[in-house]
Amino acid sequence: MKTIEVGTAVSRAAGKSKGFLDVGTLPDGRPMRSPVIILQGAADGPTLWLHGCVHGNEYCGTFIIHEVLRALAPGDLKGAVVALPALNVTAFEKNQRMSPFEGYNAGDLNRNFPGKADGSVTQQMAHAIYAPLKQYADYLIDFHTAMTPDVRWALYANIPGDIGKKGDGIARAFGYRSTLPAPPDILPGSAMMIAAKDGIPAFIVEAGGKGPAFTPETVTDGAERLRNVMRHLGMLSGKVTDCGKMWNFSNFAWVHSTQGGLFQRAVKCGDRITVGSVIGHYFDMHGRPAGEAKAPHPGIVLAIHPGPIMAAGETLIHIGLDPTEV
Amino acid sequence: MKPIEIGTAKSEHSGRVDGMLQVGWLPDGYPMETPVTILRGRDDGPVVWIHGCVHGNEYCGTFTIHKFLRELDPAGLNGCVVALPALNITAFQKNQRMSPFEGYNGGDLNRCFPGRVDGTLTEQIAYHVYRHLRAHATHLIDFHTAFTADTRWALFAPPSGDQGKVAEAMARAFGFSNTLPAPLDILGGSALTTAAKDGIPGLIVEAGGLDTAFSPETVADAAERLRNVLRRLEMLPGAVTDYGTMTFFSNFAWVNTTRGGLFRAAVKCGQALKKGDVVGRYYDAHGEMVEESRSPHDGIVLAISSWPVMPSGEILIHIGLNPRAA
Repeated sequence: MKTIEVGTAVSRAAGKSKGFLDVGTLPDGRPMRSPVIILQGAADGPTLWLHGCVHGNEYCGTFIIHEVLRALAPGDLKGAVVALPALNVTAFEKNQRMSPFEGYNAGDLNRNFPGKADGSVTQQMAHAIYAPLKQYADYLIDFHTAMTPDVRWALYANIPGDIGKKGDGIARAFGYRSTLPAPPDILPGSAMMIAAKDGIPAFIVEAGGKGPAFTPETVTDGAERLRNVMRHLGMLSGKVTDCGKMWNFSNFAWVHSTQGGLFQRAVKCGDRITVGSVIGHYFDMHGRPAGEAKAPHPGIVLAIHPGPIMAAGETLIHIGLDPTEV
Repeated sequence: MKPIEIGTAKSEHSGRVDGMLQVGWLPDGYPMETPVTILRGRDDGPVVWIHGCVHGNEYCGTFTIHKFLRELDPAGLNGCVVALPALNITAFQKNQRMSPFEGYNGGDLNRCFPGRVDGTLTEQIAYHVYRHLRAHATHLIDFHTAFTADTRWALFAPPSGDQGKVAEAMARAFGFSNTLPAPLDILGGSALTTAAKDGIPGLIVEAGGLDTAFSPETVADAAERLRNVLRRLEMLPGAVTDYGTMTFFSNFAWVNTTRGGLFRAAVKCGQALKKGDVVGRYYDAHGEMVEESRSPHDGIVLAISSWPVMPSGEILIHIGLNPRAA
């Protein structure tokens, strides 16, 4: 058995340990604490690091991680799971993407890894989290959402060689059809890219939408897919479900709105679009049609703005480019 | 034709005019303006005043009013429709219940009618809206949402008397089965009860949920029910749809949370409840279930919280009391 110590959660034997990791200090002087669960199996094996709510209002991942851990018996597990289900805890509490205590900087925790011990609030959080991640993790799975409940896609760090190959294996076992083997030059400062460059195969799941925009079915399905990854990694026994072929992308494109107004989407996640496809409709304040939003690229819809209102500069659509069946 | 002038919207003949009503001043010295549409039929007749987004993040009503207006032909209309689809405009822009410029007071616009010309920001908004409402409206329909997409209920006022009969007829024509004849001592300062006391019968519709939580089907259904109210008031031709027997309540109960945590609802809107029934479950940040919250009353679920995370004091559930067939 190994010893795993993340904040006050200390695991030396098979079983579940709970605690908190200090990731900063609050303005009233109390520690900013993110919850940690360590589940160590009865047999040796790899250590899988799970986290959710890097972006505070992406709760679906928290519920998926919780569901898997509640149902997992240490006797059935080979290796260990280290889970931080509500990573960016002050943003989580406030139902927003970034920490409410991050005033001056961009503050996107998933652009600030590996962090800085004496940096901004968010950089200090990243630093406190990344140290144990780097120390213990053999694999990383990071749960996110996009905007609407129908979001289902994934990406892995496609570092040439073994790391990318292991990422592909995890992606196939998770089995979302739309998957990006992420080029190493995108998403700088993400936990995924930083960990992969440090030799830890890393995978991001995008399941469900922000705030309350996810269903119990998405949570249950995400939990089962996560168990399938653990079967693939030899951490759980049983046959790995074959989820079939995937659409791999060459990259993605984030498209911002250049118009404001009331907005209704015209496409769903997973839809195929071409250049010029109508993806949504704008209306003015009196309810009159005020134009169509059109796709600037062909591909697959990974995420689409749900409306009902839009300011210029918001993420309108996220498109997976050059889908290839693999 | 009798002129109707609301802000820059001036209606003197049959047809549609759009304009803006100033309801306050922004901190940069620009007017705070809310959109107004007046749709005038062939002849003078009833003036139905319709507004939405009294609470800024309740967009389903805005979309319902807009759709209704787009599909309404002035040549087929007897009387007049005055619509303010995004009443609390700065809250609407900011996707929140109350105006972001209301710093010190309660700021719930639906508790501030008839308003005060020299009151707080929200009282001044209420004043500028209500003086026109009182001058012109013969009937009021006010669109709200609760939390979740399955919300479907209504209230009418006054609950009795000659105007109460008119209000009840409007509620039956709208036809949401779960309906409260609203006692005039509840919802003090709401547009509904204030107008009722001034002799204007009215209806509050609660359809759909906060922010993105509503579907195009709910919008289309509510727009058709709104047309049915106008048929009942003999403003539109055609047979009035009979939605059948209603369920009336004696009152409602708002239940607040007394603990915080991750939350999953266990009931749906419209469901019958017994005192002691589990309405939702709380989980701690490590994913362990820490409490089942139970209904303190018998009744029907009018609204249930959709927040994945809740602090103490949030509205947990809204219950219709003493349901009876009517």
